[in-house]
Parts: sequence; structure tokens; C-alpha cells
Amino acid sequence: MGGMGAIFWREARLAWAGGGGPAGPAAFFLAAITLAPLAIGPDPDLLASAGPGLMAFAALLSVLQSAERLYGDDFVDGTLDLYALLPIGLPLLSLAKTLGQGVATLWPLPVIALLGGLMYGVPLVSSLMLAASLAAAIPALVLLAGFAGALAAGVRRSGLLIALIATPLMVPVLIFAAGAGRAGFEGDERALANLGLTAAISLGTIALAPFGIAGAIRSRLG
Amino acid sequence: MLSYFSNPQRFDGLARRVIPVLGVVTIVLLAIGVWLAFFGSPPDYQQGETIRIMYVHVPAAYMAMALYAALAGASFVYFVWRHSLADAAAEVIAPIGAVFTVLALMTGSLWGKPMWGTWWEWDARMTSVLVLLLVYLGYMALRSALEDAQQAARAAAVLAMAGIVNLVIVKFSVDWWSSLHQPASVIRFDGPTIHSSQLWPLGVMALAYTTLAAWLVFYRLRSRTLIQKARQIERRKLRDARQAQGEPGELA
Repeated sequence: MGGMGAIFWREARLAWAGGGGPAGPAAFFLAAITLAPLAIGPDPDLLASAGPGLMAFAALLSVLQSAERLYGDDFVDGTLDLYALLPIGLPLLSLAKTLGQGVATLWPLPVIALLGGLMYGVPLVSSLMLAASLAAAIPALVLLAGFAGALAAGVRRSGLLIALIATPLMVPVLIFAAGAGRAGFEGDERALANLGLTAAISLGTIALAPFGIAGAIRSRLG
Repeated sequence: MLSYFSNPQRFDGLARRVIPVLGVVTIVLLAIGVWLAFFGSPPDYQQGETIRIMYVHVPAAYMAMALYAALAGASFVYFVWRHSLADAAAEVIAPIGAVFTVLALMTGSLWGKPMWGTWWEWDARMTSVLVLLLVYLGYMALRSALEDAQQAARAAAVLAMAGIVNLVIVKFSVDWWSSLHQPASVIRFDGPTIHSSQLWPLGVMALAYTTLAAWLVFYRLRSRTLIQKARQIERRKLRDARQAQGEPGELA
């Protein structure tokens, strides 16, 4: 467990030191939700009903932003080769590594989503529901992006490839995270069910994805 | 049996005999199936002549899914037992499966226009087939992006296996997603239980599509081994030519 903690903190510190920590994804998320009304028009009803879905979608895109760095850099400079020799094993290691980066860089997203929801005219309770469902979705999103990132590690311009691999995997969590916000907005009692399903998928991903990431890393190390 | 045919020579011998047989069977079955679909079966009492689209659409959708199952199965065999033939099979199945998926989407769209009044509906089943196409595309993109052949094979195998877990979850989640927002205008094709006059052409067409896919897979597998052999010969020629000129040979 000590090893996992060390790797978690290493990733968190690296994210702050090399990539500006949460600034990158947060700025991207903010830009996306600022531009969306300019594209779909300022009609308040339309914005309020599209808001939760747009927010969840923009969050998914911002998670993809940092997926390239997570395993790409460590693959190129040989860190992954050393990691593969550690006694704690690749699954636990990749779990700590991925969540470390995810927590360090993505914690502002639910806060911005709450704010963005209010700006789109979504009622406070539904905005809170949306923020909660994004917070529940982030572990799954980060791990799936990490899985795609590990498969495509070291490929030149891997960002596009990662997006193509990760988006089909992210379909379920997007459906339920956005569904919680939408159902909340429509006064549907299924908001909590959607939130629960989002959390369930996140937990399932935490249980399964580390093995996928470990398999991906091993396949790439040859 | 798989390890027996992992010898390229033996596989080539098998493929050379299987390919023409599959070709003839496919053409005969397609001819019978198309005849049955167009002339040998009555128009549907509800859907009229458009029911005939079913005979090309349903088998395509079935092949899109069956080929993904085959892709994931081959990937599993390669991942666990490292059989190069299984990996080669996975590599050649992917584009064929993607084409059947596109075919299913296109014929479905052509069928949807007269039946539902729309080319495209964000219906659960259609959306999950579209996601299946993305999974195929991601698989092929990953394979072509990794230059080292062995790394590409292993990484692609991991992705194909993750894809099948995901497809199941996508199926359920999309069902729930769509059921929350099912537009009332969509007429569900629950129709009458299929009559035997329609079941026959459908069955023959499904069989024809299956042998067609098998034919294409064997054909592409054989061309793949031939291309590899041709490359080997080319490399050897190049090396011999260099050695004849007194240069040090290329490292194999």
C-alpha cells in the first residue's frame, strides 16, 4: 500500500509540476461550455434542457485531453519498464497512477459544472445532481482514458487514436452521468437511479480497468 | 488443431482447397436466397414490398455482431496461447466486420425511411450498432498505428477483449437511455411472428452471408500469408545482391 501511495502522490505532483495541474482541463471545460451556447443559440429553454448533457459531454472531452501524457511520457522515457518490475504489480500500480493524475487534474470539473449548470438556467438542485454525477463518473472516465492511453502509449500524435479508442468505452458512463442531470432537470425521480448507476459503473471500472491497463502496458513492453 | 495449422505451409494447403468450395457455396446460396427474397416470397401484409429489405439487412446485422464475436474469440486465443494464426485471423476479420456493420447501418436506414418515415432514429439498437462500428474503427486504427508487429498484435488483442465486455454494457445502457426518452412516433417493428414463407429466404440469406464472410476471411488470410512470403523472398534477394557486391549483409 505504501508503494501505491507513493505512485499516487508522484502522479499528482507531476500533474501540478509539468502540466499546470487542474488548469488545463478546467480551462478546456470552461471554454467548451462557453462556446456551446454560441453554437446552439441563446434560447433559455433550449440551453436549460441541453445543459446537463452538454456539460457531461464537455467533461468527457476534457478527460481525454490529459490521457496522452499519462502513459505516453512514462513509456518513452522507460519509467514503465521499471514499474513493471515493482513488486506491487501492474494492476494496482496503474490504478494508483491513473487515479493520482485524475484526482489532481480533474477535481474542478464538478465545481465548474455546478456553476455552468446555473448559468445555463438549470435549477440549483438539478445542477447539484449533475455535479455529483460528474464527480461519480470521473474515476471511470479517467481509467478508460488511461486504458486507451496505455494501448496507444508512445505513438506519435496519439491523442486522436486515444479519443477513437476511448469514446466507445465511455458510452455507458456518459449515458448515466448525463442522465442523472437530465432526469433531475425534468423532475424525474430516476435522477437518483442514474446517479447510482454512474457510481456503479465507476466502481466496476475501478475493479476491472486496472487489469486492462496492466495488459495494455505488458503488450506494449513486449 | 489450431497449432497444427499455425504452420503457414499447412494452412496454405488447407486454404487453397477451402476457398473455392466456400466461393461456390456462397454464390449458389446467394443466388437461391436472392431469388427467394425477390420472387419466391410474398410481400408482407403490413409492410408490403419493403419487407424484402429485411433479407439483406438482418443477415448483415447478424454478421456484424458474429464477426465481432469471432474477432474477440480469435484475440482471446492469441492472447492466451500466442497462436500467430489466431492473430492473423483477428487482423483480417476486423475490416470485414466493419464493412458488414456499415452495410447493416445503410440497409437499415433504407428500410427505416419507408417504414418509420426517417432515415435515422436515435433508437437503442441503431445507436449500439453505430458504437460497434466505432469499436471496429478503433481496433483497426490501433493496429495500424503501432509499428512493431508483435506489440500491435498484443495491444489489439487486449482492446478487442475489452470491447466485448463494453458492448454488452453499451447494449443495456443504451436500452435504458433510449427507454427514458423513447419518442412516441417510432413504430416498433414487432410485426407478426415471421411466417415460414419469410423465414426460408431469411435463413438462406443468413447462411449465404455466413459463408461469404468465411470465404472473405480465408481469402484474406491466404493473401496475407502470401504477402509475407513475398516480402521474405524480396528481403532475401536484396541481401544476396548486396553480398554479391561485397557489402555486409543486412541484419535479418
